[in-house]
Amino acid sequence: MRPYLSLLIPTVAVLITAGCQSSVAPDKPFKNDLLKKTTGPAVVGDRIEFAYAIGTVEGDLKNVKAEASLAGAAGTGFSRFSWYTERSTGVDKPQQTATDTITNGTVSTASILDVATNKAVTLRYYYYPTADAKGKDVSFRFSATSSTGAEVSFQSPVYRVSNMDMKRTIVLGDGAKAYVSLADMTAYTKAEVEQNNLAGKIDFVYVYRPTINTYAFGHALVAPSNSDYLKDVTLPTGLAKPRTAIDKRVDVKDAQLRGTAGFDVYIDDIDLQKTTFANAADYAYGLAVDQGAFVKTADGAYTAYVYVNAVNNTAKTMTVSIKRLKLN
Amino acid sequence: MKKSILFNYMSLLAMVGLLSCGNDPIDDSGLLITSRAQCYVTAFDLLGSDHRTVLVSGQTKIDTTALTVLAVARFGTNMQRVKPFCSVVTDAIVEPNMGVWTDFTQAQKYTIVSGNRQVRKTYTVTVTLQQ
Repeated sequence: MRPYLSLLIPTVAVLITAGCQSSVAPDKPFKNDLLKKTTGPAVVGDRIEFAYAIGTVEGDLKNVKAEASLAGAAGTGFSRFSWYTERSTGVDKPQQTATDTITNGTVSTASILDVATNKAVTLRYYYYPTADAKGKDVSFRFSATSSTGAEVSFQSPVYRVSNMDMKRTIVLGDGAKAYVSLADMTAYTKAEVEQNNLAGKIDFVYVYRPTINTYAFGHALVAPSNSDYLKDVTLPTGLAKPRTAIDKRVDVKDAQLRGTAGFDVYIDDIDLQKTTFANAADYAYGLAVDQGAFVKTADGAYTAYVYVNAVNNTAKTMTVSIKRLKLN
Repeated sequence: MKKSILFNYMSLLAMVGLLSCGNDPIDDSGLLITSRAQCYVTAFDLLGSDHRTVLVSGQTKIDTTALTVLAVARFGTNMQRVKPFCSVVTDAIVEPNMGVWTDFTQAQKYTIVSGNRQVRKTYTVTVTLQQ
């Protein structure tokens, strides 16, 4: 026998023995873990989603608790449902695993159902930031107890709540709700602007023209300062003519403004703080779905991103969603 | 015989080593200065704030004798904030750099410098707007 075989055989034997271990005993009988599912910024009007997982090999799961450092808005708390992926279709399906989901101030609790079989569950916890939380840090302490009296806990990192405001699904209509105020994040009709004395608050006007001078024009946002593209529009009496800077984008598909998953692109505070408008136009035309424009008010008070959710050439409407940051 | 093969092999290796240590000249931007004397523009494009071309297709004319580029921007283009790009002959460079936001309400001048940095030709780029 060659000498190296005398070394090789025992090594292989050790590897085989170690590699055939059928299972490894858990170091702790009751464990928990946390995953923040939301990848976008924490914006008022949207939620942050966590997946809190617990499992025990001793006794039964009893209840869970989440303590937020700042109280959340309505909707904050545990969901009663866990999710699993159906093997035949690949579709995620909910299954109720918790009950008594209660949120009282900063504390949310839930009790686990069917404890005889639910030895390990993952619960969803949703947190809706309040307007008071804007610009503040928030963190969460998740904990769970078992029937044996054991407790586990998980402290989340600190998350900064965005200073942005967000408003979704604002329907603009050519010749109707065409006058948009970023201060109000609202679209008004000509009559509403005149009756409510809003002439000083309008930052841009929505118009739809299939063509201008035989060239394609389409759906457009135009600052009141631009007489070229508003020359056939009778503006509200007393409307100020601010030169709102409007810078078109075609590739900023903000997932929160879009309102659908699948696009992990987000406008965050820093984008609205840092975007520059040197020589920017006072209009954006040819707007289509998923496109948009960075907008800065003439007085420099607000920067916003206006995202186009839908356009309708027949109805001459455009549905937009807006993220806005107050600068001063 | 063995000695002779080894000697030839080592000589070849030394020659390759010497050649690879050649100190090729580079310019201030770290770009290689070559022997090419050609100096001309081959293509030109202009992007809007949405980083899409604003030029009307098929309307761009590059005259390498008159040293001009004439292009037409689409109706509604904000000519004060557009970003020019061009292609040039191999190893040539452009001064000043393109790819920055530029006001094209007036014609702009760009100098093409050949690969050997000996030939300089200044092009006048004029972009008119569809009215």
